[in-house]
Amino acid sequence: MKTAVPRTIFVFVILSLVLAACAPATAPAPAGEAGAAAPIKLTHWIGVGTGGSQQAECVIANVIEPYNEMTEGVTVETVLQSNVWEAMRTAVAGGGGPDIVTTPGPSFVYEMAKSGQLLPLSDYADQLGWADTFAPWALSLGLVDGELYSVPHELETLILYYNKTVFEENGWPPPATFDEMVALSEQIADAGIIPFAHTNGEWRAANEWFVGEFLNHVAGPDNVYLALIGQKPWTDPEFVEAIDHLTDMQLKGWFMGGLDRYYTGTDDERRVMLGDGVAAMTIEGTWALDNMSNYFGEAAGNANEWDIIPVPSVTGEDIYDLGIGSTYSINAASPNPDAAADFLTYYFSPESQATLLVECGVAPAPVTLTEEQLTGLDPRFAKAFAGLTQASDEGNYGYTTWTFWPPKSDVYIYEEIEKVWAGQITSEQYLQGLQDLFQQELEAGDIPPIPEREVSS
Amino acid sequence: MATSDQAVRPSPPAPVSRQDGRSPWGRRYRKYLVPWLFALPILLINVVVVIGPSLSAIYYSLTDWSGIGAGEFIGLENYRRILFQDMNYRRAFLNNIAWLSFFLTVPFAVSLFAASMLARIRRGSMFFRTALFIPYVLPAVITASIWRNLLSPTLGIGALLSDWGIPGLDVAWLGRPQTALLSIAFVDNWHFWGFLMVLFLSAMQGIPPELYEAARIDGASRWQEFRHITVPGIRPTIVFMLLMVAIWSFLVFDYVWILTQGGPAGSSEVLGTLVYKEAFMRFEAGYASAIGLTMSFLAGLIISLFLYLRRRGWEI
Amino acid sequence: MKRFFRRGRDISLAPNYILIVILVLFALGPVVIVGFNSVKDAASIGRNPLGPPTEFKWQNFPQAWEIGNFSTTTRNSLILVVGTVTSVLALGGMAAYALARLKLPGGGLLMLYLLVGSSLPVQLFLVPLFFLWRNLGLVNNLFGLIIIYVAVHSPFAIFLLRSYLVGIPPDFEDAARVDGANEWQVFTVIILPLSWPAFLTVGLVVGLGVWNEFLLATVFLTEQHLFTVVTSYYNFTSRFSRDWSLTSAAAVMMIAPILVLFLTLQRRFIAGLTQGGLKG
Repeated sequence: MKTAVPRTIFVFVILSLVLAACAPATAPAPAGEAGAAAPIKLTHWIGVGTGGSQQAECVIANVIEPYNEMTEGVTVETVLQSNVWEAMRTAVAGGGGPDIVTTPGPSFVYEMAKSGQLLPLSDYADQLGWADTFAPWALSLGLVDGELYSVPHELETLILYYNKTVFEENGWPPPATFDEMVALSEQIADAGIIPFAHTNGEWRAANEWFVGEFLNHVAGPDNVYLALIGQKPWTDPEFVEAIDHLTDMQLKGWFMGGLDRYYTGTDDERRVMLGDGVAAMTIEGTWALDNMSNYFGEAAGNANEWDIIPVPSVTGEDIYDLGIGSTYSINAASPNPDAAADFLTYYFSPESQATLLVECGVAPAPVTLTEEQLTGLDPRFAKAFAGLTQASDEGNYGYTTWTFWPPKSDVYIYEEIEKVWAGQITSEQYLQGLQDLFQQELEAGDIPPIPEREVSS
Repeated sequence: MATSDQAVRPSPPAPVSRQDGRSPWGRRYRKYLVPWLFALPILLINVVVVIGPSLSAIYYSLTDWSGIGAGEFIGLENYRRILFQDMNYRRAFLNNIAWLSFFLTVPFAVSLFAASMLARIRRGSMFFRTALFIPYVLPAVITASIWRNLLSPTLGIGALLSDWGIPGLDVAWLGRPQTALLSIAFVDNWHFWGFLMVLFLSAMQGIPPELYEAARIDGASRWQEFRHITVPGIRPTIVFMLLMVAIWSFLVFDYVWILTQGGPAGSSEVLGTLVYKEAFMRFEAGYASAIGLTMSFLAGLIISLFLYLRRRGWEI
Repeated sequence: MKRFFRRGRDISLAPNYILIVILVLFALGPVVIVGFNSVKDAASIGRNPLGPPTEFKWQNFPQAWEIGNFSTTTRNSLILVVGTVTSVLALGGMAAYALARLKLPGGGLLMLYLLVGSSLPVQLFLVPLFFLWRNLGLVNNLFGLIIIYVAVHSPFAIFLLRSYLVGIPPDFEDAARVDGANEWQVFTVIILPLSWPAFLTVGLVVGLGVWNEFLLATVFLTEQHLFTVVTSYYNFTSRFSRDWSLTSAAAVMMIAPILVLFLTLQRRFIAGLTQGGLKG
């Protein structure tokens, strides 16, 4: 009772503090400080999403391991992380982090490049011929002040998924133009079915999917382009019209059967609704292609099938709003930049990209893929990606908000639109606020690089 | 029985000054250094974590710091924005006031009522007390997630009631601007009122039963007993909790963030969530610091009001 | 007189019971529902979201344990709790001793400082603290978060411990001092063992606070392998959302230890948690 008690307490204190300090903290600084003769180790953090780690493991098995076997003396060491961006940003800012730096998009690269955390890549691009593999506009997205700092990965876009069986049963043809889509929604609503299964209950930023789609598909990508380079204000009538259409549909309850349900529904709930035929369509990203089949068919308790079409536009043209899901760069503090650049060349070769897509369902980088490379893929996937890459090749694409808008404006877009829907501000006021904020960021140079576009006047 | 410090005790016996050669220094060592050695570690931690950053928050609130790199000094610009320009701040502030009004009334009414009911029960009193306290020990994420489902229009209580023939309650409570904040307050209340009740119950046990007997003899009704004996008897506790709840109302974060993140359309935005958004989502760390300072200011205002009224001899 | 009094009391107690029982249903109902749902099949929850289960799918628990990475998150939460509690008790106890017994010069000021500090909203210093911690490399570090928890919980601990220590008769310590013990020995050998009830109470309250804590854990621990039980639940709800029965099972596993501990030590818990409110 005398000295034993306090002593144990102190041992306890020290022990737990040591345990805590020993618990894995931030990842170690890039490995490979060994000399030229010793094996080179490159660290690469792979994000684990809500679907689990299968995709990450597939990537490792199908692309990383073969590379490790192929190259002598170079090993790519992978670490699985959830919230990989937060971890990455913290580690790199602290002077550490992995050799291969990934971010969720070009506007984030901007921040890091400006702080000197990323290695300039223009020389590597020239030496290793990256301009030949990537689509013409792709590399320009990674430019900061004229120097290349990142390459884009995970091309994504939003498409219209619809319950094919319900459409056929009611004799509805898939809409070819925006106006047809609106008219069709009216019909669907009259038939007692919810036109769109949309919610933001789990991901509040989902609001921006719809704002972006409507801006591009009603006002047209040319106008959006002009506004993004500052030559056209966001308050112009085409944009107002787009927002008005969106608000109209929301208030009619065409999204989820009521604005309040839009706010509280879960992603699972709405996909179940689409699968069961309670809702007819949903505008969502290509990232959902993988999972969509889980909601249709016998296993899901219904007898329905799904299909996709590009989200209709006012002109009837096929427009795909381009999104870049992630970017790849090299850590400025990496001791093995040459090896890292080589790995990137391998990773972004059409063969690797095709493997990633077909085997693991990872959206490809904007590299040109051939038909043969895409065999084995669900025809709907192939259709989506073929359409996407074709559009990107031809320079005929739209702009997703999370890729092409500067960060503060992006947040503004999805936060403030709720006030338009609540009737607290008008679309004009909303767009005026966007214009003001966008101007600020444009002047501060915070806007991600927008690839040049030929605008038909 | 509990003596306070050693003020009236004779000074320590000779052995102390024998431990070190210099008598007067030895005493001072004992008096100043040793106590502070005991208190210093935790004080240091507190200063580094709380005071240091709080003071730098004051500095940052005068800049346009984004959280990365340095910030430019902009004087009182942030405060000007808060007071005159930012509609989001205004709405958040009003929501905090609404929250305050709710929490100063509903949980107090329910818990006082329940405590007075429970005070008379002998059998099973311990069981009831424990059962009613349980919601308070659950983590906010669990409580929020349970209630999010219970408030869902399709899977919740509203849907069940509508199946049983009671219509109108199967709405998306958390999805409507008019009801979002209220619903969150309801959930937090579920979590909180048990704590208040147990607190009041303990305090009530300090009221001499003779008072009740006397009142009963005089023919007082239960309500009169409550009003004239119970409430005055635990007044210091009630007042103190009113003070704490008032302060906490300006600091609320967990439930709002987990349930609606301030939506829809900012209808449930509170100052706490606004700080988080400005700092970590909109890259406006300087502005966020300014908001944080206004929150401390409001808390301080309430404390001062309380102390002032007390000093004035207000029999609250 | 007494008999008359007692009879009067008995008659009027039925409404009390009824109302209290209703309140208990209100308080425990949701908890019970989660318990029900944790053993149901996902599909049957859709049909029967609130009622008792018809079959018992115990498989939910190991599954939720796996998916929710409970082995890691429980470990993290435990490290945080143990680290914080021991540090707060040790360091806070020392400070409380200095205030209560060692006649700390400037003690009154210290108490005032702590009082003011404890009423500062965490949102005030959260932003600069986060960026300071990031520069020190203490973000995504359990030790770094423990330091913050210690700072945040220390005022309460010090106040409580101090008021308890003040009530201990000084005879034992004086005897020890006479025998030549220095202050440290007095503290560790005499005071600590005597005041274990207060230490236990403070430990329980602080421990509960740390286990349930959300905001600081969300901000300072963003890497998956460092998630606490509470933040991982929040982050994984989307992963679970397909299967509400799994989420319920996870919830049950999270609150079970709290409930067990609470039920065994309820008197202490309640006394500790309400201590703060009874002064005033």
